[in-house]
Amino acid sequence: MEPSDEALCQRVAKRDEAAFDLLVARYQERAHRLAWSMLRNAEDARDVSQEAFIRLYEAAGSFRGQSKFSTWFYRLLVNLCLDHKRKHRWWKLWVRDEGDDRSDSLLERQPAPAVDPTDKLHREQTMKALGEAVDRLAPRQRAAVMLRVQEDMATYEIAKVLKCSEATVRVHLHRALTTLKKTVEKR
Amino acid sequence: MAKHPDTDLVPYLRGELPPAERERVARHLEECPDCRQDTEQLRDLLGDLARSIGEPPVVNWARYRAELYQKLEARRGRRAWWWRPVPLALSAGLAGVLLVVGVWSGLELSKSTDPFSLDEAVIGRELGLLQEYQMVERLDLLEDLDVIRNLDGLASGHQG
Repeated sequence: MEPSDEALCQRVAKRDEAAFDLLVARYQERAHRLAWSMLRNAEDARDVSQEAFIRLYEAAGSFRGQSKFSTWFYRLLVNLCLDHKRKHRWWKLWVRDEGDDRSDSLLERQPAPAVDPTDKLHREQTMKALGEAVDRLAPRQRAAVMLRVQEDMATYEIAKVLKCSEATVRVHLHRALTTLKKTVEKR
Repeated sequence: MAKHPDTDLVPYLRGELPPAERERVARHLEECPDCRQDTEQLRDLLGDLARSIGEPPVVNWARYRAELYQKLEARRGRRAWWWRPVPLALSAGLAGVLLVVGVWSGLELSKSTDPFSLDEAVIGRELGLLQEYQMVERLDLLEDLDVIRNLDGLASGHQG
């Protein structure tokens, strides 16, 4: 039987390298994807998600098992992403997101719907606008949306990751989705 | 009609609401076409969002892990230096020496930069001012000209 994440984390606290390897293998893709969806830069996503694993290794002893390991780890990761965004906000404004991966091939990434070319183009443009609108959301709103949409987290889990109340998460989601809905309606 | 359940719509769509709240939202949606439309739009939007985010760039996971372990090793190495006993003892010793030197030089500095303190002490002792503190206190009254001018009046008033 596979050991649970929580059991592995307890072993990491005792400096069990094999347990750490297993946790990294289990979470590397999810961590990288979430970091990328929040930071929109391949290099930053790699660095920040790796930093989250390093923090996990260092702080495994502080995991008390009161929440799921995934919630605890996502909190580490999301905090690092939010810190990273805060630190790089002015620099990003200055260089206008030169390393931003969003601009490259969003249209190419979309699956082709079986509709006529005009509809298809319109839909692709709408998706592009939607993706850009997500990038413009306030960091915590974006985090809430990503955790909901990508990680399929329930409101109470998002609240634990963002360390706020469920009501606050509902408000974050409502505001974010209202903004995004307006973006779609404009098109 | 009851208040629009704006912030409850996403949890409603995900089926997270407890039965009573779910019932309340469902009843509201039956009566309110605007909220019904909002709910449909939200459902589509949540579906579109997952696609609009796209997929992250392809990662070579072996290289990713190799880099991670390298970073972790570097971090452990940096930290381990502080925890080695000899450097720790040396650092503590150096800190102690610096503290002693700092305190000593501070004392020396305070002696050399306060040339008046000795004079003041000598004058104070010769005049014996502190022994006559009550008198010194009364001298303050003499600085107030109004009081000086009205001393007689004050005295007579006091007697009366």
